[in-house]
Amino acid sequence: MGEEDRNNSSKRLLVVGLIWLVATVLAVIAVAAIQWHPFAASREAEITDDAFDLLLLFAAPVFTFVLVVGGYTLVRDRDRGTGADGAPIRTNRLFIGTWVVITTALSVLIVITPGFTGLDELRAEPEPDLIIDVRAERWNWAYTYAESGVETQGTLMLPIDRRILFRISSTDVIHSFWIPAFRIKKDAVPGQITTTMVTAEVLGSFDNQDEMRVQCAELCGVGHARMFTGVTVVEQAEFDAWLAAAGG
Amino acid sequence: MAATEVLPMEHATPRLKINRIGLWLFFLSETMLFAGVLTTRFSLLGTEVHEEVSQTIGLVITAILLASSYTAFRAEHAAHHGDQAEMVKYLSLTLLLGFVFVAGVAYEWIEAFDAFPPSTEFGTVFFTMTGIHAFHVLTGLIFLGLLWNNARRGRYADNAWPVEAGVKYWHFVDVVWVFFYPALYLI
Amino acid sequence: MTIVRGAIGGVAGYILGAALLMSIRAAAGSRAWEVESVTAGAWLFALTGWLLGVGVWRYWARPWFGKKEQVYTTTGWRRYFDFDTDHKVIGIQYLVSFLALFFMAGLFAMVMRYELMGVGEDVLDADQYNSLMSLHGTMMVFVAVAATVGAFGNYVVPIMIGADDMAYPKLNALSFWLVPPVLVALTASFFSGGYDTGWTGYAPLSVQSDVGGLFFNLAFFTLGLSSIVGALNIIVTVVTMRAQGMTWFRLPIFVWSIFITSILSLIFTQFIGLAMLMVVLDRTAGTIFFDPASGGEPLLYQHVFWFYSHPAVYIMILPAFGITLEIVSHFTRKPLFAYKWAVGGLLGIMGMSSVVWAHHMFTSGMAEALRKPFLASTEMISIPTGFIFLSALGTLWMGKIRYTVPMLFALGVLFNFLIGGITGVFLADVPVDIQLQDTYFVVAHFHYVILGGGIFGLFAAIYYWFPKMTGRMMNDRLGKLHFWWMMIGFNATFLPMFSLGLQGMNRRIADYTPDLADANRAVSMGGFFLGTSFVVFLYNFLKSWARGPVAPSNPWGARTLEWQIPSPPPHENFEVPPVVLADPYGYGEPDSIHADLGVTQSESIEEGVEA
Ligand code: HEA
Ligand code: HEA
Ligand code: CUA
Ligand SMILES: [Cu+2]
Repeated sequence: MGEEDRNNSSKRLLVVGLIWLVATVLAVIAVAAIQWHPFAASREAEITDDAFDLLLLFAAPVFTFVLVVGGYTLVRDRDRGTGADGAPIRTNRLFIGTWVVITTALSVLIVITPGFTGLDELRAEPEPDLIIDVRAERWNWAYTYAESGVETQGTLMLPIDRRILFRISSTDVIHSFWIPAFRIKKDAVPGQITTTMVTAEVLGSFDNQDEMRVQCAELCGVGHARMFTGVTVVEQAEFDAWLAAAGG
Repeated sequence: MAATEVLPMEHATPRLKINRIGLWLFFLSETMLFAGVLTTRFSLLGTEVHEEVSQTIGLVITAILLASSYTAFRAEHAAHHGDQAEMVKYLSLTLLLGFVFVAGVAYEWIEAFDAFPPSTEFGTVFFTMTGIHAFHVLTGLIFLGLLWNNARRGRYADNAWPVEAGVKYWHFVDVVWVFFYPALYLI
Repeated sequence: MTIVRGAIGGVAGYILGAALLMSIRAAAGSRAWEVESVTAGAWLFALTGWLLGVGVWRYWARPWFGKKEQVYTTTGWRRYFDFDTDHKVIGIQYLVSFLALFFMAGLFAMVMRYELMGVGEDVLDADQYNSLMSLHGTMMVFVAVAATVGAFGNYVVPIMIGADDMAYPKLNALSFWLVPPVLVALTASFFSGGYDTGWTGYAPLSVQSDVGGLFFNLAFFTLGLSSIVGALNIIVTVVTMRAQGMTWFRLPIFVWSIFITSILSLIFTQFIGLAMLMVVLDRTAGTIFFDPASGGEPLLYQHVFWFYSHPAVYIMILPAFGITLEIVSHFTRKPLFAYKWAVGGLLGIMGMSSVVWAHHMFTSGMAEALRKPFLASTEMISIPTGFIFLSALGTLWMGKIRYTVPMLFALGVLFNFLIGGITGVFLADVPVDIQLQDTYFVVAHFHYVILGGGIFGLFAAIYYWFPKMTGRMMNDRLGKLHFWWMMIGFNATFLPMFSLGLQGMNRRIADYTPDLADANRAVSMGGFFLGTSFVVFLYNFLKSWARGPVAPSNPWGARTLEWQIPSPPPHENFEVPPVVLADPYGYGEPDSIHADLGVTQSESIEEGVEA
């Protein structure tokens, strides 16, 4: 490689590096500006949405790196009909080494946070204030409030700011208990009781928010798409009154 | 230009070696199937065994199958040494033992149908495992039968590979049983 | 005639098997005829009959009975309908069959998108939608698993390594002739009411579905047989049939990718066979693998299924990686950058693909303790995958890039797979996946990797090797039109799906909440735009095959062996066995010669470069 080539190539690297920086900053701004998440109404939703946002932040430089390096060379290094061959560069220790170290480090980082940390947060506070047994059957949801023995179908009534444990079962095939606004989901498997916990933090109901629904999220036959009911979150006092009226 | 001094292409690797590699890869693939079946068995049942499985039949058919591996080995040995008569003799013996094994399994099935039908946990595992294995034994018997038929006519005088392949397959099916037998009868 | 004989054999086999089973059933005291139980058992007999009929008997099995082997004698176009053992014929048989399947499945997608244009059930009811969706997914997965390996693994790999054919030519023909029964089973499924389980066929739903579900099981099972046989053949071929001097690290990267794909197929395909078998037994033999009431375990199905189907997603993508790197090197006129790292990446993906399967089951109710290890292993698979990008970027850098149609598609693979791969990293993160599992975010993710990666790779390969396979050139302008049309249509269709998923639209539904209507209409429009792009392709493909300009032996000036022989190659591929002297990527290195093909052929090299 001649002196001129070397200058040339360090200039290229500088330019690409700058474009990458700018692109990354722009990408991060764009990422922050976009509203990615729908209506959120639980403690779990914050953890999940934060994890997603953090991943976006990690993804931005990786994405822009590939696009900028690739894009730059695609524009600059077109063959202009000379029919010549490119420079026979078979390897470059610095580039390969950096790549391997950075992608490995980034992967490990992603595993730790938001991976493990997010999971630990979700699993914190394991003591429930309220237990609800959820029974899925084609194509219906039934809820039993464990302490009072009240069984209901239709809208799922929940008190705000209480730790709620769902014990989920199925009588026929696999269904999945999903409340989009809460970002919780757990399959209802016949022959098994699965659990998931949530703390609702926002008042609301299906009437004004589509995400406030229990949606079946595992294909279970013809009625799958329609296997949903509303969710309503109310103050504790209102909830107690409702429960009493329902026969508790 | 470099000097072109090459062997004809077919001889880059001898045909026999190519065939052997293929056979072993086939065993590797099949091993995954049997490993999957075994894992399934432990996942469903833990280490439980039904007390009504007939220990006598189990032991007898296992012994028979192992014996047939020995006779198969002798047949292959004879094939490699060009001893046609020996080969035919031992192939017949292997076939005979193989049929006795299948008959044993069939008898066991008839008994098992009342003791633990397929609609029970152990029945599901028992019938599936013995069934998959017996299917392989049957295909093995078909191949051994063809070998026997051809060996009688002296067709393997100058090429022992088909015999070797059939016998290796038979050994493989036997080895599988060595893992299945304790999983079904002992553990 | 072959097909007629096969059909007769198949029907005869079915009748024989059915008679046998019915008599056993009658003897055991059950009702003799029961469509599912009888068909499940008779299928094996029908398959055997079909295979014997199409040629196994005539061309293969006769020596077992002391008769003389009859080698095929057909010539011309008829060879493509025969039990032909030439790997080049088989490659084209695979290509055409799976392209047809691809278009069929694509048409199903068009109907689905039409239904999803508006809220409510318009043209399809929920049941029909589920069936169509399941068939679309299943057929596309079959295409993705088998098309590239079958077509190009067969056609070009033996030539690239300097062999005259595969290690087992007859076994090769057998693996192709197992494909038509797959198509028959899919058709039978369609006409017997389909099945409503999706391509994943989760038990216990799949145990209860209509007869169509049984045919789904049989189709998948049969395709599995074909894959295993084909994979074994490719592995042995690459191990034993390499030309003199073709050492492991002189192999073209495409050969590596197909080789490693085949190892994955050979090892893991058994598990899909097992999963299907257990469902069939539960359906027909009264076993209780997945019936919790009698002690079965529904989750067992998912473990066995994904133990195959996760490695299978790498079976779908690795050949596309191979094609991409191959093309990028030849059209930047630069050696493949960091060759050994690229090979290491492929090997690393192979090694890790067996330990990540439960990332499909984070919300399934499996033991919670399994989440962390599977989260970690899944995220780690980004590292070897990254090496492919490392190699591609390094090769592009300072190249002399030629924007041919194959090159455009290869670049498309890189762009689309980047998005698909990164969104995979999101899904592997358990807190995020809890929300996104079973939403259109997942649908978008896998269309980006399979369609954006795998199928774009398939089209790159078609445009790249078309001149070699047919001896004719494809129209360049139409090719470029197709690329841009498809690329824009693809992104317009599937990018909005990420947002749909985030907004809470779940998969496998014919109807959705009204707030999602606008986005869905946009997606459908994109989908139709994407679908029509294939009209351009088909026109170009068919017309060029029939009447395109005659292709020189090396229209791209590429260095791998297949371009050093005439287009299309003669029956024996090489007049003299080639001797390989260096790897095929010596662009810009004045003294580098990939191979010596003997006097006559090295003349044709020079001709080709000038042409
Ligand atoms: C070709 C097929 C293919 C490929 C290659 C992949 C690749 C990946 N997939 Fe995907 N996946 C599918 C096909 C595929 N997938 C299908 C069909 C489904 C749905 C099945 C169904 O339910 O129907 C699915 C579903 C699926 C799920 C389950 C979603 C759910 O249902 O809840 C998950 C979760 O972890 C996942 C993750 C990944 C990851 C992490 C990768 C990784 O391999 C991606 C790695 C690549 C990159 C990351 C980009 C390149 C790398 C770099 C530039 C280096 C630097 C990057 C970093 C350090 C991050 N996939
Ligand atoms: C190779 C893989 C592959 C490919 C290429 C595609 C291609 C397409 N897919 Fe599909 N898809 C899957 C694999 C694939 N898909 C899988 C595995 C599932 C999951 C199923 C499940 O959940 O079980 C799925 C599910 C799926 C869904 C979700 C369904 C649901 O969950 O309810 C949707 C929705 O829009 C969709 C759309 C499309 C569209 C619009 C295309 C378009 O790209 C199609 C483009 C159109 C064509 C290719 C047709 C062109 C034809 C012509 C121009 C006419 C030619 C005519 C003749 C030859 C007669 N796909
Ligand atoms: Cu219940 Cu889907
Ligand atoms: Cu996966």
